[in-house]
Amino acid sequence: MSFTEYFELLFNDYTLRTISLGTAILGAICGMLGSFAVLRKQSLLGDAISHAALPGIAIAFLITGTKETNVLLIGALISGLIGAFWIRGITRRTHLKSDTALGLILSIFFGFGMLLLTYIQKQPNANQAGLDKFLFGQAATLLARDVWFMATVTLVCLLVLLLFWKEFKILLFDADYAKTLGFNTKMIDILITSFIVLAIVLGLQTVGVVLMSAMLLAPAAAARQWTNSLGIMVVLAAVFGATSGVVGTAISASQNNLSTGPVIVLVAATFVILSFIFSPSRGLLFRQIRFIKNRKDLQLHKTLAFMFDIAKSHENISHPHAVKILNNFHGYTKKSLSKLEDKEYIRVEGLMWEMTEKGYDFALNLYNQQVEEND
Amino acid sequence: MTSAQLEIQLIASLVAIACAIPGTFLVLRKMALISDAISHSILPGLVIGFFITHDLGSPLLIIMAALSGVITVVLVEFIQKTKLVKEDTAIGLVFPAMFSIGVILISKNANDIHLDTDVVLLGELAFAPFDRLLIDGMDFGPKSLWTIGVILLITLSLLFAFFKELKISTFDAGLATALGFSPVVLHYGLMSVASVTTVGAFDAVGAILVVALMIAPAATAYLLTDNLKKMLLLSVFFGVFSAISGYWLAHWLDASISGSMTTVLGMVFLLVYLFAPKRGLFSVLYRNKQQQVEVSLLTFLLHLNNHTEKSERHINHLNEHINWQKVRSKSVVDLALRNNMITIDKNIISLTEKGKSFTDKAIDYIITNDDSKIESIKEDFFLFRG
Repeated sequence: MSFTEYFELLFNDYTLRTISLGTAILGAICGMLGSFAVLRKQSLLGDAISHAALPGIAIAFLITGTKETNVLLIGALISGLIGAFWIRGITRRTHLKSDTALGLILSIFFGFGMLLLTYIQKQPNANQAGLDKFLFGQAATLLARDVWFMATVTLVCLLVLLLFWKEFKILLFDADYAKTLGFNTKMIDILITSFIVLAIVLGLQTVGVVLMSAMLLAPAAAARQWTNSLGIMVVLAAVFGATSGVVGTAISASQNNLSTGPVIVLVAATFVILSFIFSPSRGLLFRQIRFIKNRKDLQLHKTLAFMFDIAKSHENISHPHAVKILNNFHGYTKKSLSKLEDKEYIRVEGLMWEMTEKGYDFALNLYNQQVEEND
Repeated sequence: MTSAQLEIQLIASLVAIACAIPGTFLVLRKMALISDAISHSILPGLVIGFFITHDLGSPLLIIMAALSGVITVVLVEFIQKTKLVKEDTAIGLVFPAMFSIGVILISKNANDIHLDTDVVLLGELAFAPFDRLLIDGMDFGPKSLWTIGVILLITLSLLFAFFKELKISTFDAGLATALGFSPVVLHYGLMSVASVTTVGAFDAVGAILVVALMIAPAATAYLLTDNLKKMLLLSVFFGVFSAISGYWLAHWLDASISGSMTTVLGMVFLLVYLFAPKRGLFSVLYRNKQQQVEVSLLTFLLHLNNHTEKSERHINHLNEHINWQKVRSKSVVDLALRNNMITIDKNIISLTEKGKSFTDKAIDYIITNDDSKIESIKEDFFLFRG
């Protein structure tokens, strides 16, 4: 199936439309909340919580005996929350660092969940198959009902985000200040953590426990590179997330044997790589270009400063001098000379150069004040 | 107990020891999550190794997997160095991507590959005794026993050889560099050991249990001691204990061995987390409560010291002035009375000699904020201990 076919199908095929819509919504909500996780330096919280949700799914199944997605997800939500707050407890009450707490909760809850899953598999009733879809996720199992549910949660989350925008923002960048202003930082913190847990639980069915953290992180990390404003970052992250959801679904639908979750993650990772390289202000490419440009400017200024030293010892600053007296050490190259000429700092005639009025002024003020960039 | 059962427990214990040693250092160096990253990202290495050899038992698989573990570490550090994102974000970005590549490679070639993602996550310890090392028809025991045994031996000899260097570079990287130990070599050495151990253990117990076996025993031990040697020994002990009791739990429940080992690790951690003598939750809460009372007492005494007029020192006035609840003020007054800091005369409270000198010392400390001042108070009174 090619891409054009896919887009045709997108409008005709019910299942594909549902799945694409589902992954897009999921990507958007994850991107939004992921921005907060990334900025709060809780990037790996998502990883820990998604693993911690597993025993909840198993216990919910053991208690109710149904495979109703919503019931299982409530179980996941509860055990995810327990995991999240236990991590908080460990880092606050003991001297164990957050990385240890995260790794600990992640592996222990997941191990416990796997114990329960294998225990369930050995049970005599045959109803248990399919619980392991939560491990790697199966976007194909998304129903219109699930998508509606996801959309509702996203809407609620968006409302809360807008309502508490100021509080979230201030807590994010200056928690102490927020406290002195009288905000209940603990409540805001709990609120935001709970929403992150909620987003993760929503994604379990689609991308699964193991890859959920990337859904949360990657769009936000990519968005971070393009802006320094929280609002723009959240919107951008949502867009990146939704796009990776849709594109990932498209790619996996166009091939056989390609599970959706990993493809979405790889698409999101591509966004990150592109952002790392091509972002204008922070990206590696432009950083390198700026670096080279600065170095060239420095060479140019060096030559100019040397010329200035010669020129100022003459009464007429435009007194011609031989090009010969410049050498490599002073940053002289043919290129730099012609560049200086282009900028009308000097005039070159034959083998002689002379400084112009403009060049003299520029060189005089080179180290005195911030000279406006003109290139 | 059959010999297969004995072998499983032996393998599990060896894995636990082999994981606990690098795990301790990872926890102390605040790099615990790198083990999580490594355990996930060795998957593409394993798969590619399998494509080349078409043999799950080949040592090339271990080499490829360990290599992709080290590549992960290098990638994470490269991203960190660009300063575009925070350290933990770098970890979180790299390993899901690597893992996804692995999963896709497996699912694209599902027909001719005997790797199952479930096995990758969980391992199959129960089958380990059936895969035996045969040389010239002689049975030398299970293969994984040999693999993990060799890895453990290497880890142990490296530990004994470089214990001093590891210790210094873990606790004081600056000093280690100044003394001429290369932090880079030690860092990558530790990472390689962690990678190789993860790969070796992962065959037997799966990706997640490796993480649990590295972090949980070390974290539990760290709650109990500050001494590196004791911490190493304790974490080895916790690891082996959970390996063996986890096996029997799994036997009883007829469930996954690695899952139940992790569960036991979790329960051990929970117990220690709650009841550890100094760092446990209960003792921390108790200490906080204690300190709260002590600070209240100090506030109360300072208040008395500041006011000579009787109206300010009336017992009923305290409630409103210091803004305390009734119960709290009563307990503070009782405490002060018991320690002979105050006397109450017709509901008017006054400081005793002892209370006066104590308050003066406390003021002295508050003004100068000099640690030496506090020493004498510590000895005389119960206030500033701990």
